[in-house]
Amino acid sequence: MKFYHFSEMPYPYVPPEVEEAHGGLKYFMPNRYYDPVRGHDLYQRYLDEYELADELGFNLMVNEHHQSAATLHVSCTLSAASIIERTRHGRVLTLGTPLPHRSNPVRVAEEIAYLDNVSGGRINCGFVRGVQGETYPSNENPARNMEMFFDAHDLIKEAWLQHDIFSWESEFYNFRYVSIWPRPYQQPHPPIWVSGTAGRLVEWTAQHGYTLCNLLGTYEDTANSFRLYRRAAMNDGASEPGPENFAYLSLCHVAETEEKARDIGRQLLWYLKAGKQSLGAAIPPGYSSPSAAVAAMKGTLGAVRKLSFEDLVDAGIALVGTPDQVAGKIRELYERTGVGNLILMNQVGEMTSNQVRDSLLLFQREVMPAVSGLGADWKDDDTEWRTDTDTKPVKPVLASAVS
Amino acid sequence: MTTSTEPQRLVFFHDADVVDRSPVALGRLTELMDVTVPAYPGFEGQFDALEHRWESWNCAADLAHHHKAVLHGNDDRPVHVAGAGFGGWVALELALLAQRSMASLVLVAPYGVKLFGPMEREFADVLLLDAAEQIRLGWADPARCTGMRMPDYPAALPDEQREIAFAERATLARYAWKPFLHSQGLSRWLGTIETPTLIIGGRNDGMLCEGHSRVVAEQMPNATYVEIPDAGHYPYLEQADAFFEVVTGFYDQLGGKS
Repeated sequence: MKFYHFSEMPYPYVPPEVEEAHGGLKYFMPNRYYDPVRGHDLYQRYLDEYELADELGFNLMVNEHHQSAATLHVSCTLSAASIIERTRHGRVLTLGTPLPHRSNPVRVAEEIAYLDNVSGGRINCGFVRGVQGETYPSNENPARNMEMFFDAHDLIKEAWLQHDIFSWESEFYNFRYVSIWPRPYQQPHPPIWVSGTAGRLVEWTAQHGYTLCNLLGTYEDTANSFRLYRRAAMNDGASEPGPENFAYLSLCHVAETEEKARDIGRQLLWYLKAGKQSLGAAIPPGYSSPSAAVAAMKGTLGAVRKLSFEDLVDAGIALVGTPDQVAGKIRELYERTGVGNLILMNQVGEMTSNQVRDSLLLFQREVMPAVSGLGADWKDDDTEWRTDTDTKPVKPVLASAVS
Repeated sequence: MTTSTEPQRLVFFHDADVVDRSPVALGRLTELMDVTVPAYPGFEGQFDALEHRWESWNCAADLAHHHKAVLHGNDDRPVHVAGAGFGGWVALELALLAQRSMASLVLVAPYGVKLFGPMEREFADVLLLDAAEQIRLGWADPARCTGMRMPDYPAALPDEQREIAFAERATLARYAWKPFLHSQGLSRWLGTIETPTLIIGGRNDGMLCEGHSRVVAEQMPNATYVEIPDAGHYPYLEQADAFFEVVTGFYDQLGGKS
């Protein structure tokens, strides 16, 4: 099992009444509520935490959102560049660049190649569709989101794989002369990760052999999504995918006592609070199928956001507790889903740097040694997700918190 | 209105969220004219049209190309064209393609033309607004709102109807997302449409910026602008009698000239 430290780098100083008036912290929040002096301090503090995590043996994940007080990562590649300069060991996962929201995929190919060269091959490259509301900052058409994702991906792959000048004239992207400098350090290209739960996207990810990440889903939904991946990969002729093909993102806080872990960890809920977005922002036209849009409207989709803190801890979506308790939940996660990469959102909202550092240190000292061997000999493990024993049907995934 | 033995043909391009796509939506005009309301690929009853080729269409001009043949009926009767809101945009694009086949153009608060600077919001965001807000902006008296369907309106909409409303929104996004509710080409060539045109605005239309329909009329060489009081974006629904009087007056004037 490999571990990634992650913070969305939030700006936690927007007054609640302002948040209420603007339907949440994202996409439609006027930037007059951003104080650059406080923002500078936040950036330095979050980057310091990434630096500590690297020294402790964690890998590192960055993401990006736009026009959002919930996230000050404005570009995966910019954040990765900052982190690469401060760290020496961990892999840096950019999960992910929202391909439909980038007008120039060739630029994405170049930037990832740059990071891969500067870091000496420490990049894991994540691609995402972008969550629903990202439609508005980028102004890219939500009804064409999935097709743009695939088209941009195909172009980026060619930019990495071709060693001569080529042209690309597709419905969405038009370039007459492409040959990026530098080429990726990892040949033929860095490992590719994808997050999402839409059936078509999961199958596509499996057929390409990329790592599939589930964000904050229930273990049952996560297992279901990974089940679809395994079957799609093997139907496509691949051998049985191992734990390295799967990742899971959870909230995390460990402390010496359960009471202390829960007291501090309760702040993790900040990430899941749903702003009161308009229907069009929450469900942009055409982003989801009409039936999924109706399910989202009725609250079936995104149900994880409505769970209480206690239920989130019980479900293991929030890994909160003593080192023993958290290690136990990680074992359960592995046994139920076969995941081999665990991304830990260790900082949320107003959690202080000392709280984050204490948890990172304790996790490294007591949790990591207990569970890092999970999945190393996965073919010998007695689990319920191996394809020769798992006969459960694949169901539509409905409970993911953030997609 | 000038009458003859056979009623004249009127092709009416409907707005996106108005659910009644039968000629009846035009009220008494149907007693005087032979009204056709073309069905848009990707809207209710047309989701599987054209083997889904419409899914790559990205502008109202695509609909105009698709419907161009409707101007050529089985006889020589002149064809009058009308459109409301989004349908007004389609009608304008059709005029760019085939104005010589049109006897006249009646536009009700048309989208499609960007008039002012980059920071002017000329069109309410029909793809983002909640229904309550759209109704507040679209009707002089929201209590009169009738005949509309959106994913969250009416509140008691059955799931099947809701799915249709979501699917139609998705289609509208394909046609209208970027540039939003307008075409740069139409804005460039608007002044070349010489068809006799009546543009009708509702005095309380909050879906367009103030004066939008009037300025569109000013930029067309043969257009007249008439504003209907106590009406929003849908005057043919909200003030049906006044709408009828204005439109028949226009057609009478056309008949007198011809």
